[in-house]
Amino acid sequence: MMLKRTMAAALTLSVMFAAAGCGNSTAPGGGNGGSGGSGQPAVAGDPIRIGYVSALSGDTALWGQAGLNGMLLTAEKINADGGVLGRQIEIVGLDGRGDPQDSVNAYNKLVDENKVVAVVGTNFSSCNIPMASVADQKKVPLIATAASNELVTVDESGKLHPYSFRLCFIDSFQGTKMAEYVLNKGYKTAAIIVNQGDSYSTGVADFTVKAFTAGGGAIVANEAANSGDNDYRAQLTKIVQAKPEALFVPWIYSDVALIAKQAKELGFEGQMVGFDGWDSYELGTMAEGALEGAFFCTRPGFSLPEAKAYGEEYQAKYNIGLEGECLFGNDGLMWIVQCINETGSADPQAIRDALENTTFFKGLIGEMSIDPATHNPVRELAIFEIKGADNVFIEMFK
Amino acid sequence: MFLQQLINGISVGGVYALIASGYALIYSLLGFSNWAHGEVCMVGAYVALMSVSALVLPFPLAALAGIGGAALISLFNERFLYRRIRENKSPTMFLMIAAMGLSTVFQNGVMLLFGSKFQMFPTVIPITSISAGNIRIGVLDVMSLAISAAALIVMEFLIQHTKFGLGVRSVASNSYTASLLGVNVDKMLAAVFILAGALAGVAGILLGLKYNVFPTMGNVGLKAFIASVFGGLGSVRGAILGALIIGVAEIMVAGYLNSSLRDLITFSLLIATLLIKPSGLMGIHVEEKA
Repeated sequence: MMLKRTMAAALTLSVMFAAAGCGNSTAPGGGNGGSGGSGQPAVAGDPIRIGYVSALSGDTALWGQAGLNGMLLTAEKINADGGVLGRQIEIVGLDGRGDPQDSVNAYNKLVDENKVVAVVGTNFSSCNIPMASVADQKKVPLIATAASNELVTVDESGKLHPYSFRLCFIDSFQGTKMAEYVLNKGYKTAAIIVNQGDSYSTGVADFTVKAFTAGGGAIVANEAANSGDNDYRAQLTKIVQAKPEALFVPWIYSDVALIAKQAKELGFEGQMVGFDGWDSYELGTMAEGALEGAFFCTRPGFSLPEAKAYGEEYQAKYNIGLEGECLFGNDGLMWIVQCINETGSADPQAIRDALENTTFFKGLIGEMSIDPATHNPVRELAIFEIKGADNVFIEMFK
Repeated sequence: MFLQQLINGISVGGVYALIASGYALIYSLLGFSNWAHGEVCMVGAYVALMSVSALVLPFPLAALAGIGGAALISLFNERFLYRRIRENKSPTMFLMIAAMGLSTVFQNGVMLLFGSKFQMFPTVIPITSISAGNIRIGVLDVMSLAISAAALIVMEFLIQHTKFGLGVRSVASNSYTASLLGVNVDKMLAAVFILAGALAGVAGILLGLKYNVFPTMGNVGLKAFIASVFGGLGSVRGAILGALIIGVAEIMVAGYLNSSLRDLITFSLLIATLLIKPSGLMGIHVEEKA
């Protein structure tokens, strides 16, 4: 949900660049798969085929292709080291075009024709929600990358999709963790301003408030506003008067800049706290100093040393801009490989069981374990602080 | 807190007033609501922004360029669209429909040229505020209120106390009679579009400074339009009064009730005005022009 919003925003900004850039960034093997999937069943000695579905064409191909490139690069390295269980890894990437129906078709084709043992993708909740039900029937595990909606791994009634997993943290998780982080930092009172028409904002806010109160803190002001109002001073006036030590702002960055500036004008001097909606290189500049010292949580991107090295390798190989999605591609593949190595089997059912029982996996975007009840990762959050125009990586928070 | 909210409201209403007076000016002459007026603000903001960022002009010059740009676009609308529609003797409704089309053309054109991304002016006034007791007023707000007030006073002076203003008022009163008496109606209309455009340019730049620049920023024109209906269509003073009332009402609703009621109450006010007092607070003879 969240990611889709950010993407939509980011995309509209850069449609032209994307359109120009995509042609160049087509992954080796491109739209229709790394190499031809034959129709034969997998037998020992054959390569282990792992699928990837995302938008490899269209508006969002920038991310889709980065994910595929990441998997291809990592597979190449694994194969150079002798493969897994003595077999080579073969990545088959199919274009789901960011569309739910096409993504379901791609998953079916990967399972039925290419005989993959597991599938990584997509980055859209809208695609993964229908794919999850199909995966339950086909019994080949599916690992979403950046799809953060709850319904990607459980259905409306909360029943688990046994074959669906994900790498990213969900909205409610960051709310809970950030409340803990702020309490750890010694803040006892906080206020929150919520974008009431946006399920991302209200979702994060509910869990933040719950966890902050449960941890002994007090929410002294809880104000609602609407994105597009542009003037939030009515609500911020009330917040400032309640004198909170911290202010949670679960909004998208363009609104965050306005909120921060108006809060500062009204005399707010407490700590501003944000979430992954803040994750934009423009935020510090847009806030004109009003967010100096504010911190927010998000994915670590290329901040961790291993990810940085990987990014350099990636750029050396593909000679294109870095997209965080390539780290998801690597982590998805490495997680599957870890499961295959642990169980000594490349059988989809064995992989699924191992994925569900993962107690420790360290990827390029940090360490995680899996909650078997929801298949959501319990993972470290990266904390960034805004200094001048930059988002400076501070630490990983467990 | 009430006083602080009142000040917040006046600062919101001040910018509405600049746009609303443009609606009122054009309505008083042509009897139609110029739906492209909000987009004229937006174009002004973009011209100023590009003058700062691409041409690296100092801000005051860039602001002048923005105001000039908005005035030109406004004149362009009149010269190449509205005048033609008038000369064709098409119904007044055609003007409004053309304006709606223009509004979308401008929004999408700017989106194509610059993307839909939020852009911002370099820091002109650092984010600081003046405090008096419990009350804080942003320096940018004080400046923006002062500039709005100055612009509106200049406009009032032009309309009420100059020969040009007399011409405008005569056209507003009855354009046919005015033309018989030797007033060049087309020239007056062009001048009014330039004036309204310049005011919109000022509003666009102030809005851009406060809330960033983006292609749909002209949508705020809708609020200003409501202000001008509420104040009395065609009455510039009514529009200013209406704008201030709506600004304050919005902030009070968001501050004391619930911000989701904000637009609901503003639009209810629009409907109530049309039902109960169509001439608005200060308007006259609406039936003839609507």
